Parts: sequence; structure tokens; C-alpha cells
Amino acid sequence: MVQAEGKEAAAERSRIVVCLDKDLEPIVTRFLGRKRGELPVLRDAVQARDFEKIRRLGHDLKGAGEGFGFADLSAIGAQLERRAHARDGKAITEQIEAMEAYLAAVEVRFS
Amino acid sequence: MYTALQIETPRTIPNTKMRVAILEDDLSQTELLSHWLQLAGHHAHAFEQGAQLLRSLERESFDVLVLDWNVPDLNGIEVLKRVRSRLHSAIPVLFVTGRNREDDVVMALREGADDYMVKPVRRLELLARLEALARRGRHGQQQADVIELDVFKVDCQTRTVLRNGKAVDLTAKDFDLSVLFLRNVGRLLSRGHIRETVWGPNAVVTSRTLDTHVSRIRNKLGLTPDYGWRLAAVYRYGYRLEQLDPSAARPRDGESKAA
Repeated sequence: MVQAEGKEAAAERSRIVVCLDKDLEPIVTRFLGRKRGELPVLRDAVQARDFEKIRRLGHDLKGAGEGFGFADLSAIGAQLERRAHARDGKAITEQIEAMEAYLAAVEVRFS
Repeated sequence: MYTALQIETPRTIPNTKMRVAILEDDLSQTELLSHWLQLAGHHAHAFEQGAQLLRSLERESFDVLVLDWNVPDLNGIEVLKRVRSRLHSAIPVLFVTGRNREDDVVMALREGADDYMVKPVRRLELLARLEALARRGRHGQQQADVIELDVFKVDCQTRTVLRNGKAVDLTAKDFDLSVLFLRNVGRLLSRGHIRETVWGPNAVVTSRTLDTHVSRIRNKLGLTPDYGWRLAAVYRYGYRLEQLDPSAARPRDGESKAA
């Protein structure tokens, strides 16, 4: 019980709340869904050492993230792009984990 | 962590909707740019491939092009070169790309881009830059609420047109059509552009309806060589309003012919 409460408290602490205009809801929901769908694609690309695919996905994330209100995703995208240029699989995996953690923690409130 | 994205209403010039073509292969980016433009009252047309955009430019007019650099088939630079050299178009071009190296910016500007923004772009800045480009593209033609041109005085607030000081009786659509042409003297406007600006993006308007309205404002406003104007149809494309050499026009004493 104590452990469960601890997890909830930890989840609450790590939650990222982003407040956006109501009219952005459809495109933001689609954007986040697409980015969640890209996580396995990125992992497969690391396995296959397909750095061009990682560079391209990172480039797109960098370009769009901040415009939707997710500056951290743009920063992760920039790192993915840079690490793909360097063909650094370990650093790319860390960025994919950071992207996954962000997407799990982000809560968007539309008003 | 808590982030709030403030959406401010940008100040747009009244009655100056822009028709913007966007070349972008990232669907999320396309949706975002289109959404921002639509919120500001403009019309966005998205193209995923360079060749697709070039084909459209042969039959459609736009106020501004927004080009991404890295797209499948023809990249943004190739599209720009062809727009300038083959289509001989001076349409304002804004690059919106993730490429931020100085030599990229220089290359795009030297190939004929009018402005350059590096992603991620900020909404209000993008809109302000697009509006500035469109304004320059209109060669200083009147974008204010009141247009005074030759014998015409158009007030967009009261939606009235005076010709030689006399009010011209126009329907709502005819007024919008008149404003569109009088704001774009000398510019070839495609049928799609006219339909979208006057009737809206989702309206179904036949060519015959459009031609009827054009014919009506030509007669009511006296947009004929007799009065120093020509509102000419361009086969399979659209219309262009031209002001003829004022010295060639006859004295404007024929109010009975027009209006």
C-alpha cells in the first residue's frame, strides 16, 4: 500500500501539464498519437542501424514539437538528429527513452 | 512541470485573406501551419511533393509560397528555381525549414527566396512575415479599408463602391469580387483563387456562376477599355483586371454606359 502510494506520488511529480487552446485539440491529439507510434519505429531503426530514418524522424520532431507547445520534444528531436549524424546508437537509445518518458508523462489540458 | 501556450489573436489587415501554398512532407507540420493560417482567416493549400505543387501553379494562383527544403522528389530549392525560371513567377516565397546553416540560408535567398525561417517557427512571427511578403507581392497596391483608385472609391467597412462619386448598386458577392480585383490590379487570378476568396473554401460555384458575376461587375463598374480598364478572361485559368494607359482612355463622361 505504502509502495503504491509512493508510485502514485512519483507519477504525480513527474507529470508534465501543458495547457493549450481548445481549437488545437484535434491536431495536437493526432500529433501525440503519431509520435507515440514512432517510438517502435525508432527502436527498430536503431537495431537496423538505419541512421537516416532516425535523422529524418528526429528532424521532423525538432521542427514540429515546439509549435504544438512541446518544446522538450523539439529538443529531443534535435538530439536524435545530431546523434543520428554521429551514428551513436547508445545516445540515440537514451533519447528514445527520454521521448517515451515525456510522452508518458505529458498531460494536455485544453481550454 | 506546467506549460501554457498562449494563443493571441494576430492583427491581420482587414479584407486581405491570403491564399498560401505550403510544400511540406511532415503531416504534423502541415496541419499546424494550416491551422495557424486558418485561425488568422487565410486559406492554406498543402502539397507533399514538389512536382505536385509545380503542376498546381500552372493552373492556380497563390499569394505566397511556403517551401520546406527536404521533401520527396523535387526539394524546395529545385521547386524555387523552377518557379522563378520556368514559370517566370515573382510570387513571394518563404522558406520554412530545419536547415539552419548560413550557406543554406544564403543559397535559398540567392535562388530567389524572399524570406527564410528555421523550424521550429513561432506562430505570430510566421504570420507577420507572410503578411509582409504578401503586401510586398501586391506591389504596394491598396490594402487599407478604403481603396481609392482612378474613379473608384471603395469602403470595405460600409461595403460601398463609389464610381465618380456615385454609389454603384452591388450584391454582397459582387462587392467582394470587385474588392478582390481592385486590390489585385494587373495580377492574373485563377478561378480557384477567385472562388475561394469570394465564396469561401467549401462553396460549390460553377464556372458559369463565376463568369456571370464577373460580367456583371464589368458592366456595373465600367471595367472596359472605354473607361480605361480591361477585365479580361484568360483561357482555362482565370481573370486579370488591367488599368489601361490613362491617356488612351476616353473622357469619362458616359455614366449611362456603366452603373
